[in-house]
Amino acid sequence: MGNPNKMSRNEKLRHDRLTFYKDDIEQIDKLLAEFLRLSGAKCALLIDKEGHLVTKRGELRTIDIDTISALVAGSFAATKEMARLLGEEEFTAMYHQGERDNIQLGLVGDRTLLTILFDDRTTVGMVRLYANETAKKLADIYRASQERHGDDPGLGEAYGQDAKKSLDKLFD
Amino acid sequence: MVQINFALKEVNCKIVFYGPGMSGKTTNLEIVHQKAPEENKGELTSISTDGDRTLFFDFMPLDLGNVAGMRTKFQLYTVPGQVYYNSTRKLVLQGVDGVIFVADSDPEKMPENIESYQNLIDNLTEYGKDIRELPHVIQYNKRDLPNAMSVEEMDRQMNKFGVPTFEAVAYTGEGVFPTLKTLAGMVLESIDRMDSRSSKRPAAEAPRTAAPAARGAQPTRTAAPAAQKKPAAAPQRAAAAPATQRAAAAPATRTAPAKAAAAAPATAATAKLKTPAARTPATPARPTTAAQAAPATRRPGMPAPRAAQPAPKKGGGMAMVVGLSVLLIAAAAGVVWFFSSNNLL
Repeated sequence: MGNPNKMSRNEKLRHDRLTFYKDDIEQIDKLLAEFLRLSGAKCALLIDKEGHLVTKRGELRTIDIDTISALVAGSFAATKEMARLLGEEEFTAMYHQGERDNIQLGLVGDRTLLTILFDDRTTVGMVRLYANETAKKLADIYRASQERHGDDPGLGEAYGQDAKKSLDKLFD
Repeated sequence: MVQINFALKEVNCKIVFYGPGMSGKTTNLEIVHQKAPEENKGELTSISTDGDRTLFFDFMPLDLGNVAGMRTKFQLYTVPGQVYYNSTRKLVLQGVDGVIFVADSDPEKMPENIESYQNLIDNLTEYGKDIRELPHVIQYNKRDLPNAMSVEEMDRQMNKFGVPTFEAVAYTGEGVFPTLKTLAGMVLESIDRMDSRSSKRPAAEAPRTAAPAARGAQPTRTAAPAAQKKPAAAPQRAAAAPATQRAAAAPATRTAPAKAAAAAPATAATAKLKTPAARTPATPARPTTAAQAAPATRRPGMPAPRAAQPAPKKGGGMAMVVGLSVLLIAAAAGVVWFFSSNNLL
């Protein structure tokens, strides 16, 4: 990412926010569903590096998505510092092994993480193989989206007015 | 970094409670968690040591509900305050959309407050962010301490950018919600402002750096109950504000912060002030070249977009010349190949 002070307005907007459109998410969802079918994993979450969920596919039971997303992003961020100490820019994949459930994390593009939950119905090798393929296809979708959508459409004027009312309602 | 998801119809923002160790960041979050309506809050998760000191971060999601058809959520984080944990503190700051700086009112903790605030500026700079452009507020916590430093003095030593300040006694809940409400409002306003700039009114972008400071005066007087209790504080704060606003609004004119530092009486307290005061302008001074001065100078004539226009034309012309040259070379090569393959040469 470039120096934000030298960016054009639209570049800065792209730098300061991450926007996902409905048509992109439909494509991503299809890709994730296909990934789950091929790999035998239980669930796939796509989250951004700040720990916000982008989309999810598969069985989740009672997992608190917001919390798991924040923790995944936090642990991934921590490895970046480890990588830096070793002279790497960042590690692109991580694996947490449990007794029953496991998590595989992989960087997609430079701003999102593909988080896969799987159990003993499949193997880490299968998950990694298909995850790598899926990550490449996801990166292609991001690139195509950026070319297709161009400028960020924003949230519209009503958003600012409505936000004030909602804040009053929550905090007063 | 704000995430806008048109498929899920969600807007996600990241807010971080920053400040020195034991200043009350986690307590703030615990109070928000206790008092927020059940349907608006998620779990409070802490990654802490056995002694309850934050090791990595505390986290809780807060759902603002439906805003103009978009479910708007804040992810609230605290950082570990201890100096030792700077690398993890920096990680939590990644992609932040707004900061609540929680300062300790104990006079003995003032050097830690100042050091931590400077650390915030430095860490943001590493992510390419300028604190003057990031929505942030300062909370003066532990106002119930018998020897609590006066708000005016804390303001003078800490609030260099004229941002909204709040008095709080976090463990009782006093001041916690007003602080968060103001910051959340500033974050949403910055999203709204970004939209306005990107599509509708480019001329409205000039006050961007000045805007947080300008807005600052309002919530300080209206939202902070303690500010109302102490009317004497108001003129002093108002007097301090223009200097800091000037500093924020006109980064090119470096004299404003210098004046602010020079205007302070030369007491023992100012000796303490001087170091950070000299340091703080120094940090923004680094990027204060033509590129950074641009936001402040865009209003008078918007030179940046105009200057940017000829550039693509120039690039386009060059591309055309190169393209034509390549075509000519290719044609010549084709002719030579045709003649040589037919033994005509």
